[in-house]
Amino acid sequence: MHACRDAMIELESVSKRYGPPRRGGTQALNGVSLRIPRGGLHAVVGPNGAGKTTLFAIVLGFLRPTSGKAMVDGMDPRDYARRRGAAYMPEQFRLPGSWTVLETLRGLAALEGVRGTERERRVHTAIRRLGLEREATKRLAALSHGLLQRVGLAQALLAERELVVLDEPTEGLDPLWRIRFRGLVEEFARAGRTVLLASHELSEVERLADRVVLLERGRVRETFEVRPATARLRYRIELAMPAAALLETFPDAAPDGGSDVAYYVEVDDAAELSRRLAALLAEGGIVAAVQPAPEPLEERVRRALAEGPQ
Amino acid sequence: MRSVALVGLALKARGRRLAVLAAFAAVFVAAAIAVRLLTGGAHGHVELDPLFLTGGYPLVSALLLLGWVLGRFPLIATLVLVAGLVSDDRARGYARIYAVRPTSPILVYGVRLLVLLAAAFALSAILLPTFDLIMLGEWAGPATLVLILAYVLVYGGLTAFLSVWTRADAWITLLLAVTALVWDALRSAGRLATAPPGIIEVVTFLLPPQRALFALESAFAQVQPIPWEAFAHAAGYGLLWLILAGVALMNRET
Repeated sequence: MHACRDAMIELESVSKRYGPPRRGGTQALNGVSLRIPRGGLHAVVGPNGAGKTTLFAIVLGFLRPTSGKAMVDGMDPRDYARRRGAAYMPEQFRLPGSWTVLETLRGLAALEGVRGTERERRVHTAIRRLGLEREATKRLAALSHGLLQRVGLAQALLAERELVVLDEPTEGLDPLWRIRFRGLVEEFARAGRTVLLASHELSEVERLADRVVLLERGRVRETFEVRPATARLRYRIELAMPAAALLETFPDAAPDGGSDVAYYVEVDDAAELSRRLAALLAEGGIVAAVQPAPEPLEERVRRALAEGPQ
Repeated sequence: MRSVALVGLALKARGRRLAVLAAFAAVFVAAAIAVRLLTGGAHGHVELDPLFLTGGYPLVSALLLLGWVLGRFPLIATLVLVAGLVSDDRARGYARIYAVRPTSPILVYGVRLLVLLAAAFALSAILLPTFDLIMLGEWAGPATLVLILAYVLVYGGLTAFLSVWTRADAWITLLLAVTALVWDALRSAGRLATAPPGIIEVVTFLLPPQRALFALESAFAQVQPIPWEAFAHAAGYGLLWLILAGVALMNRET
């Protein structure tokens, strides 16, 4: 595989099996090929057991593919992590319960190669940003799941790494901290860092991600842009009363739920929408409202999963 | 030194085990003081005759057993402290938190192992001479420390290597230690004469060097000069496993 300079992560036919097949081993990834460009926020979604965590483990060099090849910035993933480091937030952040928050962050900052006053500055900045001031001297064992997740996020902020991998980071966070978390992640992406995010929260992914990789049973089912520049525009048209003329002017219109007055329609541009609406009005249709209605990510994921393997 | 920052944390994470070992050591010291008070005569050491008169065979046997277990304290301390060095971190997911930092895992775990081995050595180096002083009224000099160091290196190296692979690291080491004891006894008794050629040498090479450790123990017990060859053998065995542990650590999945 020839490394592409613009690609941060390249996977070619990567498969990963846990345990030998004759003992009922699990095929976690099955021929995954992906090219993730440098910068931006890339989400990996999929049902439980789809292979998201395994994919991240291969990207970070924790695991080696059973077959296929993985590269990060043109390097073997393990070499990349050892040379450049990565910001990583696991699904469940854990370290020895006897350590305090402050000790934990100081120790990990030291492993980042940060020393002295700079280390203290970074540790206290991370504590302040994650609102952990009151917990700084508490032992990890005494923290709730949500607070531990915040410590997990704080440790990912200690060094400015180009690669940021967040595996279900908002699991256990309260709504307020979910909102703050989004701000932090957007900051990562704005700074030109390559962020990989796994989440079951599709609304969150929709707000944050530029691209989505949909995994199912260890295979890439679909890769799509969250806000594609070339996609058709989608609108919700609401009529004052049912009108057969709507289906004549918008043959592909899809009713909103079971409604006979509200429909979703797709057009290439605003001019096409105006032309068709004019035709609808000319046929006697009475339009009550027209609103932009981009297809929710949830709907796209559901549709992709329902369509079956590509 | 990035990994030095984790020295204090490594000890803190092992705080409970250190406390248990200290309590275990305190039992030995308390027993020694009790025996000394019960039977210590004008000669400045514990005498077996008064001990026998006080408690009969059970008390004498208990004291001998205590002495034998005490001789294994460096092994026990090493196993308790080093158990799960890498394997616990892997199983609990801690290893991945360290692995994304640009610091070699050899440094992370090497420094931690060094600290834990030093703690096992220090605990044993306090307990064994203290016990000797109470029971015998004198200490055997640096031979005690050399013996402790040999135990710590042999079993620390072996446990560290196994820890890269399995959570049963300390149990397997203990099993190998017992096997080595039996194997050495069989060898000494000439019971392995019919074994196929090469087998004895290979098994003896792989098992902990019980004969070397026994040579060090004997020299210590009989107040003879330290057999440095035996120490070199034991230390070499431990260092070999440490090197293999480092190689395995760099290549094993996290």
